[in-house]
Amino acid sequence: MELGDFISVGYAGKLLADLGADVIKVEHPKSGDTIRTHGPFPGDIPDKEKSGLHLFLNTNKRSITLNTSEREGRDILLKLIPRVDLIISNMTVTRVEKEGLDYETLSRDNTSLILSSITVFGYDTPYRHWEGSALTATAASGISKKIGDPNKQPLWIPYCAADFQGGIHGAISALLALRMKRKTGLGQHAWVSVIEVMSSYVGGSGGVPAFVYQGNIGSRNGSHRSSFYPWQVVPAKDGYIEVITMIDKQWDRFIEVMNNPEWSKDNRLNNRWESFRWREDLDRFWHPWIKSRTRQELFKIFSENRLPFLPVYRIDEVIESTHLEKRNFWQTVSHPIMGTYKTMGPPYRLSKNPWSIRRPAPLLGQHNGDIYIKSLGMSETSFSTLESKGVI
Amino acid sequence: MSEISQLPLSGIRVVDHGHVWAGPLLGMSFRDMGAEVIKIQTPGTSSGVSMAGQGMPGTATEQVDAHDQMNYHTLDRGKKSLTLNLKTPEGKEIYKRLIKLSDVVIENFSSRTMGSLGLAYKVLNELNPRIIMASLSATGSSPGPWKELVSYGPSLSALYGIKSLLGYQDSDQPVEDQADLDPTAAGHAFLAILAALEMREETGVGQHIDMSQGESGIQRIAEPIMDFFFNGRVATTQGNRYPGIVPHGYFKTVGKDQWIALTIRDNEEWRRFRDHFSEVMPKIEEKRFDSLNGRVTHQDDLEAIIENWTKSQDSWALTNRLQGIGIPAYPVMDAPALVGDENLNQLHRSHVDIGTENLDENELFRGIVWKLAVGHGEISDPTPISGQHNDQILQNLLKYNDDEVTNFRQRGII
Repeated sequence: MELGDFISVGYAGKLLADLGADVIKVEHPKSGDTIRTHGPFPGDIPDKEKSGLHLFLNTNKRSITLNTSEREGRDILLKLIPRVDLIISNMTVTRVEKEGLDYETLSRDNTSLILSSITVFGYDTPYRHWEGSALTATAASGISKKIGDPNKQPLWIPYCAADFQGGIHGAISALLALRMKRKTGLGQHAWVSVIEVMSSYVGGSGGVPAFVYQGNIGSRNGSHRSSFYPWQVVPAKDGYIEVITMIDKQWDRFIEVMNNPEWSKDNRLNNRWESFRWREDLDRFWHPWIKSRTRQELFKIFSENRLPFLPVYRIDEVIESTHLEKRNFWQTVSHPIMGTYKTMGPPYRLSKNPWSIRRPAPLLGQHNGDIYIKSLGMSETSFSTLESKGVI
Repeated sequence: MSEISQLPLSGIRVVDHGHVWAGPLLGMSFRDMGAEVIKIQTPGTSSGVSMAGQGMPGTATEQVDAHDQMNYHTLDRGKKSLTLNLKTPEGKEIYKRLIKLSDVVIENFSSRTMGSLGLAYKVLNELNPRIIMASLSATGSSPGPWKELVSYGPSLSALYGIKSLLGYQDSDQPVEDQADLDPTAAGHAFLAILAALEMREETGVGQHIDMSQGESGIQRIAEPIMDFFFNGRVATTQGNRYPGIVPHGYFKTVGKDQWIALTIRDNEEWRRFRDHFSEVMPKIEEKRFDSLNGRVTHQDDLEAIIENWTKSQDSWALTNRLQGIGIPAYPVMDAPALVGDENLNQLHRSHVDIGTENLDENELFRGIVWKLAVGHGEISDPTPISGQHNDQILQNLLKYNDDEVTNFRQRGII
């Protein structure tokens, strides 16, 4: 069962649904998940069934509508719990308390129930009642201060990356709790904080401590990474290319590729941890070589020489790439209202659990009948009454 | 606390070929949650030091630089180290003996490496039908023009279009990312392996997980990808803005490089914000900002009005005010601020037991993000020295005798 709204819980639910779980998405009867009103929409015309993020995030799920803030709605939710193995939720602590949907209450008739919560601030934490978003979580994690130009505002990681990361780790928590259940027979409440997830990504997974150890090394420097040199985005003739050399052999090979220019003996390049300090001077030596070539020319030269420098492709170039076509990455889905459309492929391929879109994202409340009447045994009459009262 | 019997992954043995970041982080995830993780390193070198592999600047000696200390005690903490020359027949034999007794193999080499060592999944699976192997290559193992590319997270995020979106709206030049593609790949892979372990409980057999780090990284930009599919629109750099939510950004506050993050998600939040702050920012009362469409159209003006006021405000005081009316806000944190951040410290410290004298309990540690009420993870041992567990693994686990081990050592096999 998926309780909550927007990206983090939707992505966690998607990861589980795409691996075969029967995920029932609980949505508000009137508005549905806000992801349905977010878009992007074909032709920019809003339609609850045509939001691109909804169609991506809710594949393989069933949808029921239920207003859990009404007593009757909450009672129905509790009646469904004995049939549920796992709840994945991003309800805020405030909503959980207001609606009385804490783990203790939810698990009263189902001690093997697992609840995996994803919230921005976490559960036993001082700011657990605060409001959060992907943007504020990114800011709070510390990662932003390492992204962007030092003379401009720091940057978030766009398109709510933090929510996706929260979703991944919420799904992981769920499976870890499921493994514990195999040992103990009991369910539990597991949770992640989106802030902590993002902060754990800082500084090569060193988190806050890495920040402290790295000191100023960790500050933001626009298109350069303040680390060993070079690690940067460089302008090419028709766009940009990422140049990064982790090991000395790669730098030496790059110098060879450029025909061993005289400047490569500059002693400021002797220790590439230090070279960053003279980046402006050093960049001038080799940026013209890059700038005079197209990304395709550079891509060819660098891959022939086993160098890890890759072009910055635009979204359209990635979507239209031969590689992803050859991998059969993009998926075609048939949807009752959208018709046929293309969407994202799998993040991984399991040899014995082939990833597939078994069903498109559900219409709002599409499975009310299945769940309330067929599974729960609700009468047609009470179904209609609840529907007209806006409870379901 | 080395004997972790009641953690989710206790009883699981992992063979870890991880190098740089994604692979070692995946191994660390298993270890933190109770698995025994055996890190395979090349004999006689300092190879396999995560994030600071052989030949990286500054790691020519065994001495790890101070700035790498924290990563050193993060990614490989609690693992066992076995040195093994996989290019020799005896090295392969030892490895195969280990595979028969293991549950999971993780590797983030280029997609051809394991095969060229004669250790492809097919071979390992014949030795142990229950073995699960996760291969985290850059672009996947099936044919295609990008197969077997050499790359790191930051260049792979360029190739898969992710980097083209990171930058300011006044220039299409991307800024450098924080290499978050690596932990994104590690997270997806951890989930996939846990799913494969679940499936093994039902079927009794393992499987191979073929993961392209590019394809797992690209998931989070589904929004602009769907927009291209629907409308042919090519998204580019957009600063801190986000479709459909205005204001959505970092605003200057008092002090050097101090900012506040602010999100106003709907009209109801907008009205609360407007009513609360109209006295100090009278211009926000203008009708044109009432609807989302209006705020989108006049976004530049609105951001300027807000920042003109916030720039004289303290970021924490303002955060408290905004949270007081239920609006998501937080200071944009940096290193000194994070050390004192009450909430994050609580998160990092909760459910972490530092159980050995080798780890100084006064030091800050990168905590475990999965908070389980029962079976929470533990940071239980330090990073091993290369080959530290050779004898233990070869004699106790793989049942080689003293003479054999000495012979392996003398011939550089371990």
